[in-house]
Amino acid sequence: MNKITLSTFTKISDFEWEIPASFRSDMRVPVRVFASQTLLQDALKDNSIEQAVNASTLPGLVDAVMVMPDMHQGYGFPIGGVAATDLETGVISPGGIGYDINCGVRLLASRITLEEITPFISDLATVLNQICPSGVGVGSNKRLTNAELADVCIQGAKWAKNDFYTAEEDLHRTEDQGCLAGANPEKVSSRALDRGKNQLGTLGSGNHFIEVDLVSEIFDEVAARTMGLYPGEIVVQIHTGSRGFGHQICTDYVRRLQSAVAKYGIKLPDKQLVCAPIASEEGQNYLAAMRCAANYAFLNRQILANKIREAFEIVLAGRVDSWKLRQVYDIAHNIGKFERHSINGEKKMVCVHRKGATRAFGPGTDGLPLEYQDIGQPVLVPGSMGTSSWVLIGTETSMLRSFGSCCHGAGRVLSRSQAKRSVWGENLLKQLKQKGIDVRAGSMSGLAEEAPEAYKDVDQVVESVVGAGIARKVAVINPIIVLKG
Amino acid sequence: MTYNGYKEVEHTADIALQIWAEDFPSLLKQAAKGFYSLVGIQFLEEKSLHQLFVIPNGNYESVLVDFLTELLYFVEEKSLYLSNFTFEDDQDQISVRSTAWKIKSRDREIKAVTYHNLYMRKTEKGFSTTVTFDV
Repeated sequence: MNKITLSTFTKISDFEWEIPASFRSDMRVPVRVFASQTLLQDALKDNSIEQAVNASTLPGLVDAVMVMPDMHQGYGFPIGGVAATDLETGVISPGGIGYDINCGVRLLASRITLEEITPFISDLATVLNQICPSGVGVGSNKRLTNAELADVCIQGAKWAKNDFYTAEEDLHRTEDQGCLAGANPEKVSSRALDRGKNQLGTLGSGNHFIEVDLVSEIFDEVAARTMGLYPGEIVVQIHTGSRGFGHQICTDYVRRLQSAVAKYGIKLPDKQLVCAPIASEEGQNYLAAMRCAANYAFLNRQILANKIREAFEIVLAGRVDSWKLRQVYDIAHNIGKFERHSINGEKKMVCVHRKGATRAFGPGTDGLPLEYQDIGQPVLVPGSMGTSSWVLIGTETSMLRSFGSCCHGAGRVLSRSQAKRSVWGENLLKQLKQKGIDVRAGSMSGLAEEAPEAYKDVDQVVESVVGAGIARKVAVINPIIVLKG
Repeated sequence: MTYNGYKEVEHTADIALQIWAEDFPSLLKQAAKGFYSLVGIQFLEEKSLHQLFVIPNGNYESVLVDFLTELLYFVEEKSLYLSNFTFEDDQDQISVRSTAWKIKSRDREIKAVTYHNLYMRKTEKGFSTTVTFDV
């Protein structure tokens, strides 16, 4: 294959670059990268751009394969990849969604000030750690029956609507109201069902976290006020997904669709890009199963949000003016969905794959809650552990240039083993404590793997998406408690 | 000296394992050792049981992914560490006999075994490949 260098790209703007479809004979569409030149050059050190070129060979793509500035190499698709396919001629690819189906982020806002919470930070960290199951192999305290799990697959976050801590606005402030239509548990293997029964309401490990943050700066007062974000006040982020249930569904269908690739005569440069026509039985089965995992993940974050509310009540009720946590938004960053977008000037329903990319719908887009119609969708961009995270909003430009999509985080630069070689978990814990961050972690080696040095500078990532016009800044938040599995 | 082994290789977000062996069954055994090393398994040595499972027969890459996926399932769902493998190759499936021990603790959660750039290379000394795990 031709080596990809900076000169391979056509510069569209300071933050947008394109590889033409003529670059490689099997490409069907261009590759469009949203990044500063510095981040683009960094990305050339791994195979992320080559993976985007590979993804551009899939049948039925309706526009360029997009790559976000937090890109890094994945398997098949790059992390940070967005691809939209035609519903009649296009394919659905589990590799374009990922194993952790509907991995995503939820943001909760409070009216608690830093001054109010400071005396209780340690207690709150302890209770959060006790109440929210996290860590390697840690399951839920409730094992679902087959019927309950089937119901979860269909209902998603609605399954918890009668829970004491679920607030009325939670569902409508969740992407797709926390429930994708078309889920069918009959398309899920018994093995995946087994794995899903005792993991609901658990955080997991790796890069998943619960973080209590302080709103440190506001960039758009109107949007921030609409979301309930105020400087000097406390918010909470939850980052997790569909746990072993989603992992097993993706594993099953990557395996099953290997034969579909041969059956439909699809040529792939990488087996992990395995796919099936959307209109085929195989494609429909995967979609039905994938939606079950997506709904499971929406509910997983809802249950964790409720556990966090319980922890806040235990520690803070009667000690602060109001311990209540209101939902700002819940978004997916590993998902495949049917959405209406403008293709060559015509509105058309397409299948948008987002793998390590966040939906970022602009103002006035169907599906947004009434209160966000004027400002656009909140986009939640967590930084690396111990660093800032960002709240952005989607724009009209994101609808035109990136299928209403944006970055999803900081993006790794160091492998896990490199991170462990350069960072000692105990030292990192001390450094974070000196910065005023109370970290509760399941393992020191796991902590080292997630060290800030292992990630890109999230501020640079955000400057790129803002520079490209696919998002606008609303607020920056900084951690005071980090809970890692 | 036998030509059997494994080592972890760099991958930005995930974990990759290079595996080599003098024949394919040995490669599967090395893959299992490497996988358990990545997961950081400690098991209870006093109790063991026999565990039989089957995987579909197919090309080398698919058999390797299916085999490791089974081991992952036993770790995640049954909390079992498997070893002492023997393989019986039928036309449509491979029967795998093993000894199982209960896992006491583990360090890492692996989400899946991937096909990413997975190619089995036949060399003069035997087989070698690199398999990537999603973590």
